[in-house]
Amino acid sequence: MAQAAPVIQPDLELSYEVPEQVTLLTDAWRRLRRNRLALLGGAIIAVLFMVALISIVWTPYPVWLQAVGPTYQPPSLHHLLGLDQAGRDILSRIMGGALITVEVGIGSAVILSLIGIPLGLLAGFYRGRVDTVISFFINIWYGIPDLLVALILVFVLSDALHLIPRGVFVIIVAFSLTRWMDVARLVRGQSLALREREFVEAARMAGGRDLALIFRHIFPNALGPIIVQATFAIPAAVLFEAFLSFLGLGLPPPTPSWGAMASDGYHGMDFAPHIVLAPTIALSITLMAFNWLGDGLRDAFDPRMRR
Amino acid sequence: MQDLRVQFATSGGTVTAVDGIDFDIDRGEIVGIVGESGSGKTMTALSVLRLIPEPGKITSGRILFGEKDVVQMTDEEIREFRGNDVAMIFQDPMTSLNPVLRVGFQVEEAMAAHRRFSRRQSHDRVVPLLQRVRIPAAKDRVRDFPHQFSGGMRQRAMIAMGVSNEPSLLIADEPTTALDVTVQASIIELVRDLSRELRAAVMLITHNMALVASLCNRVIVMYAGRIVEEGPTRSIFKNPQHPYTWSLLRSMPRVDEVEKERLISIKGLPPDLGRMPPGCKFHPRCKFRIDRCMTEEPPLGEVDPGQMARCWVLMKNVPNPEAVAQK
Amino acid sequence: MRGTLLYIGQRLILIAITTVLVSSIVFLLLHQIPGNAFLNETRTTPQALAADLRHYGLDLPLQQQYVNWVTAVVHGNLGESLVNRGVQITPLLVRETSVSATVGFFALFVTIGLGMLLGVFAALRQNTWVDYVASSAAVVGYSIPAFVIAIFMLLIFGHYFFVWTQGTVYYNVGWGDWTQVPVPAIALGLPYASYVARLTRASMLETIRTDYVRTAWAKGLKARIVVLRHALRNALIPVVTILGPLVTGIITGSVVIENIFGIPGLGKEFVTSILARDYNIVIGVFTFYAALVGLANLTVDVIYPALDPRIRY
Repeated sequence: MAQAAPVIQPDLELSYEVPEQVTLLTDAWRRLRRNRLALLGGAIIAVLFMVALISIVWTPYPVWLQAVGPTYQPPSLHHLLGLDQAGRDILSRIMGGALITVEVGIGSAVILSLIGIPLGLLAGFYRGRVDTVISFFINIWYGIPDLLVALILVFVLSDALHLIPRGVFVIIVAFSLTRWMDVARLVRGQSLALREREFVEAARMAGGRDLALIFRHIFPNALGPIIVQATFAIPAAVLFEAFLSFLGLGLPPPTPSWGAMASDGYHGMDFAPHIVLAPTIALSITLMAFNWLGDGLRDAFDPRMRR
Repeated sequence: MQDLRVQFATSGGTVTAVDGIDFDIDRGEIVGIVGESGSGKTMTALSVLRLIPEPGKITSGRILFGEKDVVQMTDEEIREFRGNDVAMIFQDPMTSLNPVLRVGFQVEEAMAAHRRFSRRQSHDRVVPLLQRVRIPAAKDRVRDFPHQFSGGMRQRAMIAMGVSNEPSLLIADEPTTALDVTVQASIIELVRDLSRELRAAVMLITHNMALVASLCNRVIVMYAGRIVEEGPTRSIFKNPQHPYTWSLLRSMPRVDEVEKERLISIKGLPPDLGRMPPGCKFHPRCKFRIDRCMTEEPPLGEVDPGQMARCWVLMKNVPNPEAVAQK
Repeated sequence: MRGTLLYIGQRLILIAITTVLVSSIVFLLLHQIPGNAFLNETRTTPQALAADLRHYGLDLPLQQQYVNWVTAVVHGNLGESLVNRGVQITPLLVRETSVSATVGFFALFVTIGLGMLLGVFAALRQNTWVDYVASSAAVVGYSIPAFVIAIFMLLIFGHYFFVWTQGTVYYNVGWGDWTQVPVPAIALGLPYASYVARLTRASMLETIRTDYVRTAWAKGLKARIVVLRHALRNALIPVVTILGPLVTGIITGSVVIENIFGIPGLGKEFVTSILARDYNIVIGVFTFYAALVGLANLTVDVIYPALDPRIRY
């Protein structure tokens, strides 16, 4: 190995620009705009949403319609991504899968935030016994393979107890029930720190009620990290759905879930690889886009945390 | 050291941290380099070992050690040179020792890297070295980790590491700034004694004028990457010529003058290295500037036997700055 | 040394408690199901069904069932398969764990070895093409799920290699030969390798700029020693902390990987028994998983102070 000149950070770079007075969101947006990878991720996500919306009203062929042509037909002008083992148009099914992906991703992010944020705020704001109980659950969660618990929950809730029919909703619920701890832990930390800050102190002196303090002063100031955490929850949920459906434990056929499509195509992989490639590539690009956007948001909201 | 120039290529353009430095250090001599933060003194010191941090580069000049030019050395030559011919003691002993390695091992490693001592000798020398720098119970403490040492002891360990190969030049970069006042004196004493024992030259980098006065034979005053004044300690302190040296000395507290006057701080800030003023780099803060100072940079000229300064005013033989100030 | 043993002992007890707690949740969830596994089976007579229920102790009140189960678990007995009567679950799962662990360790090796190698090189050659290639690979790699990588590898090593080499060198799905370990292990480890690479790179960039690394250079140490002994040693400390979540991730991933590659490990058992409604095995697998995750976290906590002398238990 060549003895390169040792790399030592010069003091020059440590001096930060003097920050102008801007709000958290505009400042973050300015930093985000400079991050090309995050912008690319955002663009891909925008396309995904558009495709999902379009698929509600129009797809080249109905997603469930079998035998629109010969089975296993490779991509052609009529069927851009080819046909699958039941002779269904893969492009149409990918579009339908986009809708499911968006539903699962956004639905999970919203529901787990709705569980995690209040619990985190309670634990951080009231501390004491409330905190002990909530923190206990958070700590237990770090000792288990959470996706597998979620998998069992899906099974118990729909197949065994017949509480929720097997579908997108049960996946969202099971995922959120096992994943709220991430958001809760973050919010708890934030509100523990924020409740000691001067402006919260001042509002308390002015006689603000607890609820008003929490929602007017603590929650808005923890918003940045919450958005980041929620963004990272989306690809995790999407992956969870694909994982379940791939194993045959998720969405029932003929739902055009990308995971299920990969599972279908995997058996004919030797002679018709296009069936398995389309959904797996779509899934990977989607996950990538959300991760890039999440990374960008994290850097934008907290430049000191940059990795 | 001849016409040394160190430049940093940053996103905002090239920054010249050290610009045309020229000086010699003789065997056994203790030379003080003083100046404010950012005046380029640390960069000058680091360039002797070619340790300038990225993206900095030595863009011109030579650093001669005996016959060899440090700037031209191959990677292997410079490695042999570092810590062997020239050793360096850094400013912050809290962060300069590796937290996960035992102190004794870090000292031993410095010797093992070079051929001066055999493996056996390197190992056996550690305890005596630590004893020599007066680390109490050195025998037991060689196996300690740095976090178990106090700041002063860590700096002693750094010094032990520095002198372990009996270098002919010891560079001490503000060795006492990060330390408690009470241990500063003993550390300095240690550096002086050891350099005498080893007949090594010392390059002491500091902004503490009192330290320079008590320790150094010669002083080099730096400002904005340049030498502004240079000469024997005695003459510099008795008869400072450059207005910057003069202000530096005035900003130093003196026991005998406590009641006479308030400390004078130098007004203004040192210039931004990326946007240097034209002419003399000190003119924006100088009380004695003349028109020429704003356009043309003065050369380093002899103002007294053995004493050099970089100032137009002195060359025109204007009255002593002290006299001007009293008006 | 005694302190360490005491600490490990305490942690082991805690792991045992967590394991029982976590699998209790699964036990209670699954035992809410009325009629259990036998609802789907075609039993000839109600008498036969009642006999079966009695055999498995499923006719007792739930509290009694739970107490019996916990007592058995504490003694290391996870009961009997609901589908294949007479099959004891504990020895079955122990055997399957050794299969999963083989793949898992190899995957961990891929993850840590490859991840650190890429991370270190990217950091040392910061802003050169090495860095860009490694960083881009990492930023793409950590988004591709293990099962997608598995499918791609299966396609390449199982199918295309077979075609290209006319059946001499290729990967064959299944288990029993050591040549069948690397392909699934790489598929399992690769997504996390990119994560480790990103972390190592960031951590390495931080340490090579520290004062003590500058001291190491100033001592005239060889580049290799500065990088390995001074920089990497310290850069490893934050990387070790993610080993716990890493093991959880590898366990989760193994569920799908073992199904794709036909490896008879815990993960395949897990899915098979859910589909077959063999609840006793599902609970058993989960107990194993909880214990494995606990042990992995304990290992990390024991390694940690060895790397960083500033940390004591």
